[in-house]
Order: sequence, then C-alpha cells, then structure tokens
Amino acid sequence: MKNIFFLVLLCVAPLAAAQPYAGKTVTIIVGYKPGGGYDATARLIAQHLPKYLPGKPTVIVQNMPGANSIIAVNHLYNIAKPDGLTLGTFNRNMPIAQLTGVKGVKFDLTKFAWVGSAASETTVLAIRTDLPYKTFEELRKAPKPVVIGATGPGANTYDFPLLLKELLGANLKIVTGYSSSADIMLAVERGEVDGRAGSWSSLLPFIERKLVRPVVRARLRESGAERLPSDESFAPNPRAKAILALRSAPEAVARPYVMPPRTPESLLRLMREAFASTLKDPAVMAQAAKAKLELNYLPGDEALQVLREVLSQPKEMVDDFGKYVKFGE
Amino acid sequence: MLDAFLQGLLLVLQWKALAFMLFGVALGFWVGLLPGLGGATTLALMLPFVYTMQPAEAFAFLLGMHSVVTTTGDITSILFGVPGEATTAAIILDGHAMAKKGQAGRALGAALTASLIGALIGAAALALAIPVVRPLVLTFGSPELFMLAIVGLAFIASLSAQGARGMVRGFLAGGLGLMLAMIGQDPQAGVARYTGDSLYLSQGLDLVPVLVGLFAIPEIIELVVRGTSIAGGLPSQRVSSGALEGVKDAFRHIGLTLRCSLIGTFIGIMPGLGGSVAQWLAYGHASQSAKTPAEREGFGKGDVRGVLGPGAACNSKEGGALIPTIAFGVPGSTAMAILLGAFFLLGLVPGPDMLSQHLALTFSMVWTIVIANVVTVAVCFLLLNRLAALTTVRVSLLVPVVLVLVFVGSYTANSQYADIVVTLVFGVVGWLMVRAGWARAPLVLGLVLGKIAENYLYISVDRYAAAWLGRPVVVVLLVCAVAVIAYPAIQGWRAKRAARA
Repeated sequence: MKNIFFLVLLCVAPLAAAQPYAGKTVTIIVGYKPGGGYDATARLIAQHLPKYLPGKPTVIVQNMPGANSIIAVNHLYNIAKPDGLTLGTFNRNMPIAQLTGVKGVKFDLTKFAWVGSAASETTVLAIRTDLPYKTFEELRKAPKPVVIGATGPGANTYDFPLLLKELLGANLKIVTGYSSSADIMLAVERGEVDGRAGSWSSLLPFIERKLVRPVVRARLRESGAERLPSDESFAPNPRAKAILALRSAPEAVARPYVMPPRTPESLLRLMREAFASTLKDPAVMAQAAKAKLELNYLPGDEALQVLREVLSQPKEMVDDFGKYVKFGE
Repeated sequence: MLDAFLQGLLLVLQWKALAFMLFGVALGFWVGLLPGLGGATTLALMLPFVYTMQPAEAFAFLLGMHSVVTTTGDITSILFGVPGEATTAAIILDGHAMAKKGQAGRALGAALTASLIGALIGAAALALAIPVVRPLVLTFGSPELFMLAIVGLAFIASLSAQGARGMVRGFLAGGLGLMLAMIGQDPQAGVARYTGDSLYLSQGLDLVPVLVGLFAIPEIIELVVRGTSIAGGLPSQRVSSGALEGVKDAFRHIGLTLRCSLIGTFIGIMPGLGGSVAQWLAYGHASQSAKTPAEREGFGKGDVRGVLGPGAACNSKEGGALIPTIAFGVPGSTAMAILLGAFFLLGLVPGPDMLSQHLALTFSMVWTIVIANVVTVAVCFLLLNRLAALTTVRVSLLVPVVLVLVFVGSYTANSQYADIVVTLVFGVVGWLMVRAGWARAPLVLGLVLGKIAENYLYISVDRYAAAWLGRPVVVVLLVCAVAVIAYPAIQGWRAKRAARA
C-alpha cells in the first residue's frame, strides 16, 4: 500500500513540476494607459503566450500608468512577488532615468529577471517633401532654419533633433509643446512646422503617402530604414558620437519585458522560452504586421547586455549627456 | 457622392454588421453608466476581436459602442450627480438639480432627446464636411487653437455667479483651475511644476478623480445631511413621469439645442481641444440664453436649458472627432487613437483615400453613429421611468452604492490609491465652494483648457513671433472672446434700463 502511494507520488511530482502554470493567472503590467504601442504589443502577447506556457495559464494585461512608467517599474521591483506570475513592460528610456538619477527611481534595472525585448524601434527625422532639402547634408547647409515640431524633453520627437542640431550642426528650430506626435503630424500637414522626428514605424504611413521624406536615422537599422545614413556617421568627434550612441542604445530594447528580481531560474527559463516562441509564432507576426506593430525578438541576456552598457557609462559622460537629454515619455 | 451615401447605409444594414453594432451598443450602454470605466479603455479591450471582421462590421461594432457611452454617461450624471464619463460633468449642474426637484424623468427625457438631435447633427456635419474637411481643419493652426481656448476661458464670465462679486470669484476659480493645469512636467524645459516630488503628480492631475470629487462628494454629503431620497421624499409616480415633457422641452428650445449641437461638432473637429471642453462651452452658451437676471439665477438650480445644451454637445462632438481621424490619420482623442489602430488592423490607411476610394465605408460610419444613437435613445426611453424612480430610493440604501461608484470610478483612472486621495481633496474643495457660493464650473474650465492654452500660446510665439496676432481667424476669435465676456455685463445693464423705464 505504502509503495503504491509512493509510486503515485513519483508519477505526480514531475507532472506538477512540469505544469507550474496550470490554473494560474499571469499578469502583464504595462506602464502606460491603453491606446499606445506598449499596450497594444502587450495585449497581442497576452493573447498568444498561454499556448507556450506549460499548463496554459490565463494571461491578462494590467495598465499601471504614471510618471512615464516609473511607478510601474517601482512596483515590479519592490512589490510584485517573484512567483513567475508577473511580467512587466515599460518605457524603453528607463535606463536613462536610472543613469541620470531621476527622483523617484527605486530600482536597479540590471537586477530584474530579463525575459527579453519584443521589438526594436529606430528614430528617424522626416521633413516635408516640398522642402528644397533632400539629404541630411543639405539640411546642415540650409540657409534658413527648418522648423521641427516636438512634444517635449525626454521624447524622441525632441531629443533626437536636439542632438542633430547641437552636435551635428543641422540648421533646425525645434518648436515644442504639441500634445502628441499625431498633433505634430497635423502641424506638418498645414505647414506650421516642416517636419518631425519619431519612430520609423509611426512615420511610415506618412512617408508612404509622400507627405514627408526621411533624411537621417538613429543607430539601429530597421528594415526599410537601413538605406538612410545614421546620425553617428556625421559625428565630428568621439564625444558627439558617444552621446548619439547613448541616446540610441535603449532603442534596441524598445519593448522590454522583465519579471521581478529573484524570480526562480526555472520559471525564468520557462517564460523566456514561451516569450521567444510567441514572438516567432507566424500567427503573431501576421497579426502584428496587420496592426503595424514592430516586432523583433531580442533574448533576455542580450537585452541585459545592452542595459549594462548604457548603465556603465563614466560619470563625466553621464553629466555631458544629461546636458542635452532628460528622462521623459 | 449620393451613391456612396446610400451604399454606406446598406453596408451598415447587412445583418452581420447590424448584429455587431447592437452588441456594441449593449456593451457601451453599461460602460457609459459606470463612472470611471471609460470608452477608451473598453475600445482597447475590444480591439483584438475585430481582426477577423470586415471593415464595415468592425466599425459598426466599435463606433456603435463608442457613440453610446456618452449618452448613457449623461444618465449617471443626472441621477446621482456622479459624472458617468469625464465628458459628461457639465450636465450635472442643472440635470442633477432637476432630479433633486423631483424632475428626474423630465431631465432624462430632455438630455436624451438633445443627445439624439446632437448625434444626428454631428453625423450630418460629418457627411457634409467631407468635401471641405481638409481646408477646414488646416485653417486652424496653433494660434487659432490658442484663441479658441481663450474663447473657452471667456465663458467663465457666463458660468460665474451673478454680479461683480460673482464675476471676480469666477475668474479667481478659473485662475486656480489654470494653476492646477500646470501641475506636472512642463513641455518646454522639462521642469516638474507643483509636483512636490510626487511621482503620481509628475504627469499632472487626471481629470476623472478631480471631477468626481468636485461634483459627487458634495452631493453625497448633502444627501446624507438631508437624510431623504434624492428627490426629497416625493412620491415615485410623480418623479418618473415627465419624460415626455423633457422631449417637448428639447423642441421648445430647438434653436438652443441645434446651436449647442454645432458647438459640439466644431469642438470635435478641432483635434487637440479634447472632448471634455465641449459640454462646458455648450453649458456656457446655454446660460447666455437667459433673458433676465432672474432667469440667469435659475441656472444651476434646475433649468432645463442647462440640460439641453450639454446633452446636445456631448454626442455631436463624436461625429466631429471622426473627421480629423479619417481625413488625416490624426486622432483627436484617446478613443480615436485606438480607433486609428483599428483602421490599420483592417488594412486601411486613413487619409485622403478615405474620402475618395473608401467613401462608402466612411459614410457607413456616419450611419452607424445615427442608428446606434436612435437605438440607444429608444431603449433608454423604455427604461426611463424606472431609472428616474432611482431618485426616490431611501438615502441609507443609495449612499453606499453611490460611494462605491465614486471610489471605483476614480480609482480606475490610474489604479492608484492617490486617485482616491485626489477625489477626497477635491471633494472637500467642491463642498467648500458650494457652501461659500462659488461656482465650480470656472475651475473646471480653467483645468480643462489650461494646458491647451499654455502649449498653443508657446508654439504660436515660438513659431510666428508676434505675427500670429494678425491672422484673420485669430482676430475674429478675439472679438468673440471679448463679446462673450461683455455679454453678461451688457445684459445686466439692459435689464437695469428696462427696470427704470
């Protein structure tokens, strides 16, 4: 009798271990309100992730907006349990917040259990097609400043053109205060501003419509944007190059996904595998392409590598960088 | 053109599209009733379901849902004084005051009729505007949008209590509202203003908890102190009749209803002004329709015109808001941004193509708004008398339920406890203002328009230096603003003269 019980136990134990997610609910915490790219990507992943986790758990999305997602990251770091049931995704510029010591930051990004990144995004500057300038070189020699619309410091609509102007000598005038990138696009349309910077994917419809023409991109080569010259190729000195590179770096991890620190290794492995399989799923890719969502899988350790590079900058470099770029959006 | 117009109707009347629309309407009905649970969030939740739908079905579903939310949001505002949506707060002032006088049925009837008329006007405007939409929207640059915000702020003059003292208090409250709008990171230098190092405030105050606190909490306090039902112990038969009277009111003041519908449509078309502005401007305009000081005194105490104006504007703005989304791919609100996502999902690129190649589909959206609103209003009228009877429920039964609505509603803004704190703080502010006889509307107007005014002023000056002041539309709007401020004064002077004569 005792033996049979033991036998049953032997059989059941690995089964239970193999199905750690059966009947459980996994929550993806998103550091923004519904309606943006971070939220849309998380909802797409939530829809397909269960297939790849043993035990097919329910996966739900919870929005935790505020302070450009610092609130969500603080929650993930300090409050969420490391039980493998919480995933988090947040502002890609979070390393900049940690690096420049923004008030309210209560986390060390390198200590998270990194699952990976779901996308990379490169920033481009696009100007109206009816302007006489067609290349970045011509933009540097422009006799009159080209007016660029922006939302505000900390957003790529502002930081990217600011560095182009300050470090590379592009003749730009940045007008800031628009409420969203859509709002700037309308200003471009009515000729109030001459162009805007933004992620390649968000500008693509307007480029295809021939309203604007892209002239320069940040470090990453997004498919379709690879022919554009990179900002760093115009850098006059190593200092400028380093600052441009540092601004671009977080864009390789544009949709970061983490689990709370001290999440057991076995659970992290399961989640990493499921995350990778989800992003390689043809159904997911087709859905993302339809929704015009960028998807590029980056493994967790590589994401962590990018982060370590950003966070290991020497003090002088950080101060220098902080003169131009503030954390935001 | 006419061909596409009728084709659009046929697209909506296909049984699948119609079924999806009715489902959307049923869903939107509840979302609107529950405060805090906003239309935008629900749209985001429903987006994954449209992958497999045809475009006409998908928009019938999403727009059907969206266009109902504001209609039923009015119901919560009128019955309980709790804003059902951030966009339906202005209707509380007179709508809930009517409910307290035992005229809930009439107020609901008036609000629903006005909102139906508004929706029809908005849809008609959308249909008519299609040929001229691009030049129309492109005329309004940042300087013009700044002046529109100023015209909006000028309405403080109409929304304040009467007399010089009331006016001063109104503008002081408006100034406080403007200051509250400054909270958060400023978009020029990236400096944190008035945040006290709090992460919660670093992106500014959320409108929902502020509105819920400002309007719902004082009502609840008053209700508990009074100890009777909302309708003050009137028998339920009397309270729940009168819906028909409300319908008649809408037609009695048809001019006002139409004008407020147009105001709503216009605000909707302008991207960047935001839906919460529309009802307040319509309310301000409605209060101008008072001919004598005595009549003016009645606003805020249950004048049906104060219900008709916001009711009409609230729904007509939805038709208007579709215009920039469709014609430029530039959404005017969060909800429209999510709808834009739906365009991409369905393989459509919003822009000039929607006005030529896909014109029938664009018209099917117009028809969806029309049909969804007719259905909702019809259903609401069936339920109206029962809804109105809620105002006769005993206070001890009602207050716990309303309190749950209030706190859950404000908590859903950011899912943070600080939302509740903000609600309570503004609850106290609102209660003090009511006790001291300060109008709350100017404060809200300042809060809603502050950020818009600041940003567009900055952009205008930065981009055009002083030259923007000479733009023709700017000058016209400036004259409008002056007229709006001067109007109550002239009215008072006229009344005095009439009294002497």
